[in-house]
Amino acid sequence: MLDHILSILIFFPALAAVLGFAIQKDSIRAYGVAVATVEFALSLWLWFSFDSDVSGMQFMEQLPLVPAFGINYILGVDGISLFIIIMAAFFTMIGIASLTDTKDEKNMIITLLFLQMTMVGVFVALDAIVFYIFWELSLVPMLYIIGAWGGPLRVYASVKFFLYTFTGSLVMLVGMLFMAYFYFQATGTWSFAILDWYRLILPESFQLWLFVAFFIGFAIKVPMFPFHTWLPYAHGQAPTIGSVILAAILLKMGTYAFIRFSLPLFPDASVFYMYPIAVLAIIMIIYTAMVAYAQKDIKQLVAYSSVSHMGVIILGTFALNVEGISGSVFLMIAHGIVSGALFLLVGVIYDRRHTKMMSEFGGLAHVMPRYATIFAIMMMAAVGMPLMINFVGEFLSLLGFYQQSHILTLLAGIAIIVGAIYMLAAYKKMFFGIVTNEANRNLPDVNKRELVALIPLVIITIWLGVYPKPILEPINNSVESIVQLMHDKSITEEAKSRIPNLVKAIEITRTSAQGAN
Amino acid sequence: MMEIGLNHYLVLSTILFSIGLVGVIRRKNLLMLFFATEILLNSVNISFAAISHFYGDLTGQMFAFFVIAIAASEVAVGLGLLIVWHKRHGNIDLEQMSTMRG
Amino acid sequence: MELYLYIALFSPLVGSLFAALFAASPKSLIAGVVPSLLLFTSFVASTILLVNILSGGDIVHVEMMTWIATGNLYIPFGFVVDQVSITMMMVVTVVSTVVHVYSIGYMDHDKSFNRFFAWLSAFVFSMMILVMSDNFAGLFIGWEGVGLCSWGLIGFWYHKESATWAANEAFIMNRIADLGMLIGIFLVYWNTGTLQYDEAFAVMPALNSEILTWMGIFLFVGAMGKSAQFPLHTWLADAMEGPTPVSALIHAATMVTAGVYLVVRANPLYDLIPHVGLFIASLGAFVALFAASMALVNRDMKRIIAYSTLSQLGYMFVAAGLGAYWVALFHLMAHAFFKALLFLGAGNVMHAMHDELDPFKMGGLKKPLKWTFIMMTLASVALAGIYPFAGFFSKDLILEVSLIEHHYIIYSVLLFTAGLTAFYSFRLVALIFHGEERYKLFGIDPHEAYKFVLIAMSPLLILAIIAGSFKMTYFEMVTAVLPATQYHVHSVVTYWIMTIGTQLFVLLAIAFAYKKYANNRITVPNGTSKMENRLCYKILSNQYYIPYVYEEYISKPYRELSEVFWKHVDMKVVDASVDGIANIIYSTGEKTRTMQSGNLSTMLKWMVAGTVALLSLAVVFGLAVRYSDEIKLIFSGLGVQ
Repeated sequence: MLDHILSILIFFPALAAVLGFAIQKDSIRAYGVAVATVEFALSLWLWFSFDSDVSGMQFMEQLPLVPAFGINYILGVDGISLFIIIMAAFFTMIGIASLTDTKDEKNMIITLLFLQMTMVGVFVALDAIVFYIFWELSLVPMLYIIGAWGGPLRVYASVKFFLYTFTGSLVMLVGMLFMAYFYFQATGTWSFAILDWYRLILPESFQLWLFVAFFIGFAIKVPMFPFHTWLPYAHGQAPTIGSVILAAILLKMGTYAFIRFSLPLFPDASVFYMYPIAVLAIIMIIYTAMVAYAQKDIKQLVAYSSVSHMGVIILGTFALNVEGISGSVFLMIAHGIVSGALFLLVGVIYDRRHTKMMSEFGGLAHVMPRYATIFAIMMMAAVGMPLMINFVGEFLSLLGFYQQSHILTLLAGIAIIVGAIYMLAAYKKMFFGIVTNEANRNLPDVNKRELVALIPLVIITIWLGVYPKPILEPINNSVESIVQLMHDKSITEEAKSRIPNLVKAIEITRTSAQGAN
Repeated sequence: MMEIGLNHYLVLSTILFSIGLVGVIRRKNLLMLFFATEILLNSVNISFAAISHFYGDLTGQMFAFFVIAIAASEVAVGLGLLIVWHKRHGNIDLEQMSTMRG
Repeated sequence: MELYLYIALFSPLVGSLFAALFAASPKSLIAGVVPSLLLFTSFVASTILLVNILSGGDIVHVEMMTWIATGNLYIPFGFVVDQVSITMMMVVTVVSTVVHVYSIGYMDHDKSFNRFFAWLSAFVFSMMILVMSDNFAGLFIGWEGVGLCSWGLIGFWYHKESATWAANEAFIMNRIADLGMLIGIFLVYWNTGTLQYDEAFAVMPALNSEILTWMGIFLFVGAMGKSAQFPLHTWLADAMEGPTPVSALIHAATMVTAGVYLVVRANPLYDLIPHVGLFIASLGAFVALFAASMALVNRDMKRIIAYSTLSQLGYMFVAAGLGAYWVALFHLMAHAFFKALLFLGAGNVMHAMHDELDPFKMGGLKKPLKWTFIMMTLASVALAGIYPFAGFFSKDLILEVSLIEHHYIIYSVLLFTAGLTAFYSFRLVALIFHGEERYKLFGIDPHEAYKFVLIAMSPLLILAIIAGSFKMTYFEMVTAVLPATQYHVHSVVTYWIMTIGTQLFVLLAIAFAYKKYANNRITVPNGTSKMENRLCYKILSNQYYIPYVYEEYISKPYRELSEVFWKHVDMKVVDASVDGIANIIYSTGEKTRTMQSGNLSTMLKWMVAGTVALLSLAVVFGLAVRYSDEIKLIFSGLGVQ
């Protein structure tokens, strides 16, 4: 069973979703929770059987699909993707378990299970075409979730989300086809396998163009400034569960793809575009944080804050050293947990008051102390308090990028200031002061069902903040192999010097040790 | 006495094609449209035959026969439809046929 | 000894978690008593560690577990108890134990009693991490942790707009400095390859001085935020919105001194860059004077003490900047005792006066608040630096240091400030405790605080009096790790002239303050008196208009710019251009669909037009290919490549 665990992880939820149509309406939630729990248990089993010391792919599966063009169904998992998969399973589980007040619950749960299939698929696919298929398929359930269960502007938001990201991925598809063609020209055989592509060294001019093609697809997904405007609409209109999954998992597809495709395939282009992308990332960080500060709607604020944090992830990715990339992968997990939790928290108050306007609240700390406490913990995690999960990622990302540029890191570091400004201002507006609005006077505090979702998130936030090693170690090993690959593949002098050579570092210590002897 | 060469046939074919084209564009009557189409097809047939003769290659003439056969069947189907239309609407005016408006 | 280290470190955390369990329930005494007892345990453990070190035991250094390890970066949770950190630990545990016990009385009637202790103990835990960590990252954990707890405690009475505002201000302003700190840490890591203090400092002498200078500057920026140095000082006075025990513990004795601690801890670095040290000393001297001047006219009891704290922090930075690290640390310790005492006394006064803060509305409180009067007077004497109280030993030493190092400007600034300090301290004492009983006008019947509160305060009183006598023991202890420079004025005559001169000057200032404020003619100012309309009074009472400038020229533009970014840039430019592209495509379809009129002859016309267009294109391309050479020739003739 372990040989095919990745396929099981992908197709078990899909199969369960199909069977779900046959389930009675009133037992669908139990069914959904059961399926998601089994899936989560499977993903934990995957982690348990995962060998942290191996830096390469594990649990590989291969099945030819179109042999003539080298399209194969290849799956595999490494330290970078492992935890995102677990997180996807986790969020689907608590998302279904804490689903409240939803019309047409059955279809929602079935859609979520389909979404889970596509999410897992994206992160385990090692063939560009399979990756692309899951990448695009993931749009469909999300389109439904926003379009069918969303707010008043849901149709506009969902269509915008779909078309925008779809357009980007088409450009990416073209890039993939070119890449495969170059591979064919170089080796005489077709292949879409990413691991095969890793071995291909492209001339710098090709890299530059292909990098851009992939970049457009990924950047819209992340979303990077100035391609971010679909996100506030999508979050603003999506139901709570949609926002949670979107922020926690779907956005990570973009940053994950940067690490899986852009960096190892185009090391020289990555170095070439490092500064422009860093500047974009800094604009993302500061600009969207300021926009977040201006928001009146708490959910929009969290949405913009997501964009701001994604900027730090991008920056860490393009630090092109082990510290930075490990940090950015870790921050992907961290941001998933924290922003997911924040969206759940916004959902809690929305369920009670059916408004997300901050001006409607005030003094909630008197009425809902437990809610205020959990919100405060998550807020502090979001602003990067040490010993909480976000800090580790942010610290490493910025630390990594500091090697590349001092002044840009200083600018990016403003994130910790502007982040605190909008978060604290929002917290003050909602929770502090006296209760002015009569409607808020008798709000019930968080109930058990909500706590089921929130408490695990709080625990993870603190646990991984204090002891990030279980996650950081496998990430580190996989990232080291990617960085080494990038260094070996790079052609230009600049790239060679920017991307550290890990082998050399080890050799030097060895020789010095020998010298000492 | 001028030798009648390939160019003369081609010119004739072009003239006929133009006549047919103008007919296709200008005519509002469906029956007239069919006539114009026939002229177009036949102008092409003339070129086929002439060029085939010029190169001494029978493929062109063979193709002309195909065209004639297809034209015949097309007219047969077309006329059948035309009659049905006329029975239903009492006219065969092109202006009236706009159910495919986008 | 490791066990004691862990006990000292983690008891406050346990206390905090214990109190947090009751956070949402109504007041229960146990939530206050247990954390206090645990803190006392921590104090005892620290004392044992101190005794161990004093008796020549080894420095206790433990590595609890790995925190972050990736690439070459390795950060453990490592803790070290050496001569410097044990000093800080003693200060922290003594003051916080006293403050905890005091708070049981002070917060007696507060409905969030339990929550208060959860925060307060959490603060102590963060502070212990800060001082005990053996690496910069651990320091940063504590650094942010105390910031967080400070946020929670300043905004403790969160129903008050001013309190929450001050809490956010403090947090954000500290964050600005923390960025500097973070950059400093990055610099240390990329240049030394480690964040452990001992390893990093060992590599530093080999680095070039430009890098070291930047390191020193950025780390000091971090220190400026926590220690509220100009221009990041405004939060400290506003932080007085928090409960008074918080002001005593956080904003006088411990957290604000973290900046000084950082500079002391990084002494091997600052020794290499004396020019940065000089800058630190100059800034410190400036802040000492600047803050003291604001304290002269303020009419808020707690703010006066806060400015005094600020001013004393300036003194400490002078010492640290001039390389007299042990002196800075010594003043830090002495100051912690008498300033905490002063604040706690002020807390008693506030309770007695029903949270009235204006000393002009008090007067004559020495009768009802006899013990508080004695304590505050003695604390003020210590603050003013009168022999033989603690302040004399530490503060005079700083003056001597600046003289010996030949920084005469700094010396004269500090000497003048010492006079101001004495003046405003006794202005406060005189206004509160002497003169006519003005509080009667407001119908208040003041009562002395609980007995156990007064007893709890007594250790601080004793320490404020006798701390100076530890000077030599302390010197011998800390100079094991700090540069052991003895500061003696060379000629005995100069020394005596200086010391006696300073004492006389300070006494004069005290006498002047009493003369001016202890009489019966003091009335509550109403904005009409001649002094209040003087320009310099206005400038001082408005804190040099700095908060105003920050609000008008930083906060407000930031708010407005954010609005502009959202409403105009994000909505009208970025999003509108995306929608614009979509709209262009959409309207193209909308316009061209009229082509699809459904009219067969129109469609045929379009078909013909299309055929013609395609044919012409084919012809054009065919011709272009045939005559490509000529075309190239023509283009090159036109100068096109």
